[in-house]
Amino acid sequence: MRPVTPRGFRDALPQEAAEREWLVRTMSSVMDSWGYGPVETPVAEEYATLEAGAGSLEGTAFRLFDSDGRLLALRPEMTVPIARLAATRLAGEPGPLRLRYAADVFREQASMRGQARQFAQVGLELIGARGPSADAEVIAVLVESLRSTGLTRFTVGVGTVEVLYAIIAAAGMDDAWGRDVLAASHERNLVGIDALARADGVSEVAAAALRAVPRIRGSRDAIDLCRAAATGCGVDAALDALAGTWDLLEVLGVAESASVDFGIMRSFDYYSGMVLEAYAPGLGLPLGGGGRYDDVMAAFNAPQPAAGFAVGIERLHIALAEQGVAIATPALDAVIGGESADAFVAARRLRGAGWRVRLSDRTGLPLVREALAAQAAEALYATADGDILRLDRSGEPASPLPESPGEPPTRSWAAGEGSR
Amino acid sequence: MIARNVTRGSSADGRVRFAVPKGALFADCVRLLRELGIDIAGLADPGRQLVVQAPEFEFIIGKPSDIPVYVASGAADIGISGKDVLAELELDVVEMVDLGFGGCRFVVAEPEDAHASIEESYRHLGVIRVATKYPRVTEAHFAAKGVQVEIVKLNGNIEIAPLIGIADQVVDITQTGTTLRENRLRIVEDVMPSTARFVANPSSLRTQGGRVEELARRMSELSVQ
Repeated sequence: MRPVTPRGFRDALPQEAAEREWLVRTMSSVMDSWGYGPVETPVAEEYATLEAGAGSLEGTAFRLFDSDGRLLALRPEMTVPIARLAATRLAGEPGPLRLRYAADVFREQASMRGQARQFAQVGLELIGARGPSADAEVIAVLVESLRSTGLTRFTVGVGTVEVLYAIIAAAGMDDAWGRDVLAASHERNLVGIDALARADGVSEVAAAALRAVPRIRGSRDAIDLCRAAATGCGVDAALDALAGTWDLLEVLGVAESASVDFGIMRSFDYYSGMVLEAYAPGLGLPLGGGGRYDDVMAAFNAPQPAAGFAVGIERLHIALAEQGVAIATPALDAVIGGESADAFVAARRLRGAGWRVRLSDRTGLPLVREALAAQAAEALYATADGDILRLDRSGEPASPLPESPGEPPTRSWAAGEGSR
Repeated sequence: MIARNVTRGSSADGRVRFAVPKGALFADCVRLLRELGIDIAGLADPGRQLVVQAPEFEFIIGKPSDIPVYVASGAADIGISGKDVLAELELDVVEMVDLGFGGCRFVVAEPEDAHASIEESYRHLGVIRVATKYPRVTEAHFAAKGVQVEIVKLNGNIEIAPLIGIADQVVDITQTGTTLRENRLRIVEDVMPSTARFVANPSSLRTQGGRVEELARRMSELSVQ
């Protein structure tokens, strides 16, 4: 047989995998510097646990029965598994908890759409803290993490779902209408929202607010625009909190990478306050998103405020490529040939000096060709006397390396003038 | 650097990529763009060209059912698409403005003389066979009514499906009902109305510096008049 991966699942070969690893490491170290510690959770969870936290997962989650007949699901995101972990394993810990993760998540996709079903995410959760300072911290770490990868052009849109909930409450309509409005906003269907605003019985203030608010985007001024557009809908408290968050973003120097955006409604139902989405120009899909989910912990009998974000590594990788940012993954420093024992000993010496060295059973010109193909900076040969000889481009021994090899080379001998 | 910006995102020089459907909506799209005072260059008569360069926009001409795919993937920043196609594809695009033109409706239709026999067979067999180009809209419609159906996805000439015995009913879009009548089909139910919509990629909406919103505002002013 010629084996293939299942639809929507794929491999990453060394170049791509090394770049992905670098992205994860770079962003994780930013989160580390803010005091976030790593956690891991199992790939599979009880389906009921995920549903209790996230609401309906119909059509989203990969479901499976185990041999006991229990219904399990592969995690479709990391927020609910980490909320479960915080509510159970870390229940006694004094908060707030600052947890980060780098993990694969799984989502079912209809066939024939060419969509991935496994995604790598890097993200964090801040559990047990509320208010503008907690929201601003989450946004700031997101902005700093993205900047740390070399991404220069991106926007983190920040909104709050409380505004829409307040407008729905002020409309004086039944629950079914409210659900329709939420569904239309999840679908980003502004035409549908306008139609619902025209329904009989919708209070005038709510109708006007519904038509205007989802289109409001900007800087601090957008908060005032929203306040004016939703007068009489009871949105002041939510907007005051958002203004407080924005003040802190300005202090932290991340406001220029952020925007206020009342059009953001995340597709998971659990968000209860601040919501955010990161966009890069030229990338049609959000890089990542998140927000405040104060009710999820309550679903696990550990009511606590919480907020977080996740960044999709695949999408970030594409956005960096679009913006011409090359990820410098460390290349091989040398390929070394020679009798096994000689080469092992010589390679250990080089590694001790910080070199990345690959062993080869080739000699002469074939060894040089291998080094060129591997983009190694040096082609070396270990002698029985313990010397390490450089090979020139024709495969002949040239100058020996000094007794103590020194720092790894920074420039390829193939790119320069023969052997260095 | 990996050169991928050739195939996705806004055009290299920052012009907005605008996906325009060929076919029934095309003439109305051209008219709308002219009314907005947009320089459409050769769009009105593109010949075989599928990408038309204009001063402000790069127009991409596509099959109506592909327009939401272009926009959702970010290959186009904005586009014009019928609500029928949007409802069927359920992709992540922002539906900005109801443009008012291209009006049609989704209907359920059946052979003029078949009503009694369809009811009879539903009683016995518990399922109605429905032919359509729009399986998702059809499924959602009948599921909401609690009627069990078996959907036969066809790619065209839906109206002949009952005549050749592949289905009992059809779900299709119609403007005037003429084609259905000519094939001796009778409309038994309205599913939903459809008009052309101005749609935007959610990311482009936020990264094109207000140009998309400005265009949407001018379009909605026009379609109100």
